[in-house]
Amino acid sequence: MALLEAQAVTKIFGGLVAVGSVDLAVEERAIVSLIGPNGAGKTTFFNCLTGLYRPEEGDILFDGVSLVGLRPDQIIAQGMARTYQNIRLFGSMTAIENVLVGQHVRLRSTPLGAIFQSPGTRREEQRAEQQARELLAFVGLAGKGDMIARNLPYGDQRLLEVARALGSRPRLLLLDEPAAGMNPRETDAMMELIRRLRNELGITILLIEHDMKVVMSISDRVSVLDYGKKIAEGHPDEVRRDPRVIEAYLGAGVLAGHNA
Amino acid sequence: MRLRSVQRGLRIGAIAFAILTYLILIGLPTRLGSVATPVLALLTALIFWVALRGGKSKRALADQSPAPLALTGATAGLASGLLTAALIAGFARLLAAGVNVQPYLDKIVPLNMAALYGVMPGAVMAGELPGGGWLWQVGLLTLAGVVGALLVLLERSLRQRTWSTGGALRWLTIVLPFVLLAFVIWLGSPGVTLGGNNRGTLRLLAAMAAIGSALFALRAAQRGREQRILALLLLIGLAYLPFTLDQFQNSVMGIVFIFVMMGLGLNIVVGFAGLLDLGYVAFFAIGAYVYAFLSAPFASPAFSALLTSLGVPADAPLVSFWVAIPITMLAAGLGGVLLGIPVLRLRGDYLAIVTLGFGEIIRLFMLNMSDLTNGPRGLLNVAPPYLFGYNLGNPRDIFILALLGAGVIAFAAYRLDGSRLGRAWIAMREDEDVAQATGVNLVQTKLLAFAIGALFAGLAGQLYAARQTNIFPDNFTLFVSVDTLSLVIVGGMGSIPGVVLGALALKGLPEVLRGIDEYRIVTFAALLVIMMIVRPEGILPSTRRRRELHEEGGPASEPAITLEPALPTDYRTLDGGKL
Repeated sequence: MALLEAQAVTKIFGGLVAVGSVDLAVEERAIVSLIGPNGAGKTTFFNCLTGLYRPEEGDILFDGVSLVGLRPDQIIAQGMARTYQNIRLFGSMTAIENVLVGQHVRLRSTPLGAIFQSPGTRREEQRAEQQARELLAFVGLAGKGDMIARNLPYGDQRLLEVARALGSRPRLLLLDEPAAGMNPRETDAMMELIRRLRNELGITILLIEHDMKVVMSISDRVSVLDYGKKIAEGHPDEVRRDPRVIEAYLGAGVLAGHNA
Repeated sequence: MRLRSVQRGLRIGAIAFAILTYLILIGLPTRLGSVATPVLALLTALIFWVALRGGKSKRALADQSPAPLALTGATAGLASGLLTAALIAGFARLLAAGVNVQPYLDKIVPLNMAALYGVMPGAVMAGELPGGGWLWQVGLLTLAGVVGALLVLLERSLRQRTWSTGGALRWLTIVLPFVLLAFVIWLGSPGVTLGGNNRGTLRLLAAMAAIGSALFALRAAQRGREQRILALLLLIGLAYLPFTLDQFQNSVMGIVFIFVMMGLGLNIVVGFAGLLDLGYVAFFAIGAYVYAFLSAPFASPAFSALLTSLGVPADAPLVSFWVAIPITMLAAGLGGVLLGIPVLRLRGDYLAIVTLGFGEIIRLFMLNMSDLTNGPRGLLNVAPPYLFGYNLGNPRDIFILALLGAGVIAFAAYRLDGSRLGRAWIAMREDEDVAQATGVNLVQTKLLAFAIGALFAGLAGQLYAARQTNIFPDNFTLFVSVDTLSLVIVGGMGSIPGVVLGALALKGLPEVLRGIDEYRIVTFAALLVIMMIVRPEGILPSTRRRRELHEEGGPASEPAITLEPALPTDYRTLDGGKL
């Protein structure tokens, strides 16, 4: 059974069908990409998955449990975390504090425990901080834990978003355009990181991406949205040959091996 | 270059003159008596210092060379001196000519003029100002200008040795509270005559300055052992204060620290969690009234009748002050949850309006439920706290209790700030949606903020009731909320020492400035506006809030590791790091 199964998910804004009856299955330990032109409904679909929007129709099963109607904080507790298209870090907090907020659902300390610094709370905080530093090191931000998130360079902010999401120990990670605004070298580093997330941590990845080089080289499967409908799905090579996809989105440039 | 220095000097002089005029018009010289001129000159020197150092940035401080700076300072002093002298001479002539200006400018009294010149009021009435008087005035203010310039240079040379690694400025900051404490104690000894009639006021002011400077000293100290030793020494000094101050000074300090308790609670709601609560007085009122019911059940007709029907004697306190503490706190905390539930989905302005209404509802409830609360006649004979039969209701002991209460609350707030819950509050303040998607339960987190804030206000309310012994609905108007919010903002939102400083500035200073009380609101309005422009993060901000409002302070951002065509290092912070 697939780890994530979206069944006929539909989201309507006024008269606009942003996401129209989209089915999507993501197998455990897979890297799946969701592509499509601007306004195709990709981010809306992500928002439905993470509980920011409630879909009008359809069901979302995560590991067999329906997520529809759960609050975002309950969904992340189930093991599904995400990053954002336009970076949304807690800017005035340090990098490590951002990751610690990410760990929120995995921590148990109570206000009273915090005031009296009970042994349990102290141990938990120490462990959490240790783990946060490890996560920062994993994404390549070792030694930058005490920097203010807002002062980090752009590329590092993207990495920090990933680290924050990892804080909740997710089984499935949704990445919304992780390589947006990055130069080729940063993009390569990000692709390598995504592979390591899957291979070393065993995390399943669902990502939205515009950079076709990224999509084609790391995805096990690709799904294509256009005007809120899924128009194609399959292995990257099949999708890139699909005439409907070419027409809707990719263009001849990609067939020749260039970026869209 | 020289012309520009003079121009700048004239501008600064005019500003200083405007401030001086205001101070003269509100009658400050009379209050200060024989020391009026030197004190005003000192004040002007400080104004010049602030104006000359040129705004917030450290770069502005370093830019100016000594000679033009001194020229600007002297020009400014001369200009303000001449203008002030002309103003006073003009008023003196008017008075001598028999024109009655007092109805229009109510504090323009001959006494006021005379105090500035150091002559008898009769001389002013007769228009016979001593010829040297105005010269002395002008000379003193010019000197103030030069002193202001020197202060800028001094500050600069002190700053060159950095703050964090044992610079002179740092040591000065650390020593200052002890100097002030010694001054307070010295002023208290019977033989000292400094300040004359206003010795008590001077002493109160020095005591407040000592507490305020202690907070700066703590921040200047290096983390770890140095800070701990300093904190211990300062605590010993602070603990001695109630025993050396007199009744009036202690009662002022008592009310200041009751407001510190309140401010620390509101700081959690507004400063940490970012929920603008304008009805905070409600929890203060709940704490006060619940304690009043418990300690003076006979004062409430309905409550005493209920108790009698249950067979409980209603003519004595039900529980002691100490047993009442958890009860009042819980009652206030429950109030916090009750307010919190309906406003969970509201943000910003809407939240402010609803909480504002809540505060008024509680007050109107106290006012109109006269069976229970005795309405506007209030609840009388609330019991003071007792310890081993000893009455702790006097100003000194109330001050001590308020200090202890504020200490406990500050400790709790400090611990919460660094906890899982504290991080959730700040995340929620920064971006509610992302915080929720990152796993923060908004309902729980918001309600905890309201409830914990309310608990602290309840404790403050109980102490307030015990201090006043009689409480009325009028003690709990919107202005208490506004004062508390103002002190949190002035001190620096989210900053625990800032709350103490804000309370000293907003609740303590007005007591010192009793004489100009009717201008208090105007003065504070001006102060608030100026502060929001010059120092939006508050007097003593939390490091985090300073980061939010100023670009400097955080470590400089390095260029991205992999940025390959060399781009200007700051190109991203230019738009990304907006104010």
